[in-house]
Amino acid sequence: MEVERIKFERTGGFANMRIAADLDVRDLSDEQAVTLKELLDELDFPELPAKLTSSEPIPDEFTYTITVEAEKWQHTVITGDTPEDEKMQELLGLLNGLARKQMRKQ
Amino acid sequence: MRPCFHPIECVIPEHMLESIATHGTSAQRQAALNNIRVVYQLRAERAMRASFKGLFDSAIPRAINNEKERVIYDAMRRDVLPGTVARREGDAPSSDPAVNEAYDGGGATYDLFMKEFGRNSIDNRAMRLNASVHYRTGYDNAFWDGAQMVYGDGDEDLPTDERLFNRFTIAVDIIGHELTHGVTQFEAKLVYSQQSGALNEHMSDVFGSLVKQYQLQQSASEADWIIGGGLLTENVNGIGVRSMKTPGAAYDDPVLGKDPQPAHMKDYVNTVSDNGGVHINSGIPNHAFYLAALEIGGYAWKKAGRIWYTALRDKLSENSDFQQCADLTHQTAGELFGNGSLEQQAVKNGWAGVGLTVGGDAEPKGCFEAALRFIGAT
Repeated sequence: MEVERIKFERTGGFANMRIAADLDVRDLSDEQAVTLKELLDELDFPELPAKLTSSEPIPDEFTYTITVEAEKWQHTVITGDTPEDEKMQELLGLLNGLARKQMRKQ
Repeated sequence: MRPCFHPIECVIPEHMLESIATHGTSAQRQAALNNIRVVYQLRAERAMRASFKGLFDSAIPRAINNEKERVIYDAMRRDVLPGTVARREGDAPSSDPAVNEAYDGGGATYDLFMKEFGRNSIDNRAMRLNASVHYRTGYDNAFWDGAQMVYGDGDEDLPTDERLFNRFTIAVDIIGHELTHGVTQFEAKLVYSQQSGALNEHMSDVFGSLVKQYQLQQSASEADWIIGGGLLTENVNGIGVRSMKTPGAAYDDPVLGKDPQPAHMKDYVNTVSDNGGVHINSGIPNHAFYLAALEIGGYAWKKAGRIWYTALRDKLSENSDFQQCADLTHQTAGELFGNGSLEQQAVKNGWAGVGLTVGGDAEPKGCFEAALRFIGAT
């Protein structure tokens, strides 16, 4: 899946410290970019429902908002910390790491 | 920003969602439909739990001797709960400080609720206190998952000079905070969104702080009223994650930003993030509690804590908002200590200090705009 940018935000949690990043896919290493594109493909990201949180919110759980932008489309998904889909968990882990890295550089 | 005085049911009544879905723009329509879907899913979940209450109830693990029973698990840095048993009730201390902190903090919380408020554990029926430590790697959070407490180790996966958080068992008020989410789940059941959600957070901060004060035997004027003291590493410019004494002043840091908590209704934050700012606007009732406890004086759990606990157990309900919490704690203070008592006056003054008049006008204003904001359609 050819994507250009990914916006990522984590809110909530006991400490409610916001983590956010605006990632340009061209700035990622080749390995990271390939992993990211594979995960988005496997999740069929543009077809995911906008909200993956269907049950009642869990107190102090993180909430994630992911917006993927491509040349011709963009799609936003909001999810909790423990999505059932393992691929989504992998995606959250990857984006969390990249966001923390970007925030430390600023 | 204009204050929003709405409980969740007011923010998104069905007729309003329907109107938005019918007359709104394409994006507003989509947001309203998504909301309707979520509301119905919640209702179905609640209906199922109500129909099978006995079955859900009997599945709750309880202490065999009807007393305090803790079981601390080690999740071994994986995300599978609960993990391996690390320390049971009565076992000698472990060599792992996180295990001991979870054990001792769970015990301190049980003792406060039992000895001061006569409550036997989270469900008042000796529910076993299960907790897992070392959840995942680099997990800078703690939460109550509806059945147990879960603690991460902070950002232990980063180099020392880049770490922001220590392990989440380090502060006893965090443990009290998480367990109180359980108490709220069994009592007022405050919906975790908007003002009722901020009250849910508020109750957890109140009893979390009281557990610490109880353990240290500190009076209201001696206590620091900090939530999460010791959680932030020395790389961070901050003393904790929230301050009930001075909301908004717990930290101000180049990486973490500034503590966003308001201390007054005039600074109420309308946001869709964080379930509608549940960890942000809790600063307002937190400060009201602090003011009331300080005016009453002495140990805060003795009177202010008793008023708040009784209100949480008997008065507040799923969709209570700040105004209702002010009115109901004031009413409770009158029932416990007498109408016109110093204690009741202190509660009234506490709420006045954050811009809420007991018995004041709770009439919703700007409902439609708030509904649009809430569902993310503006």
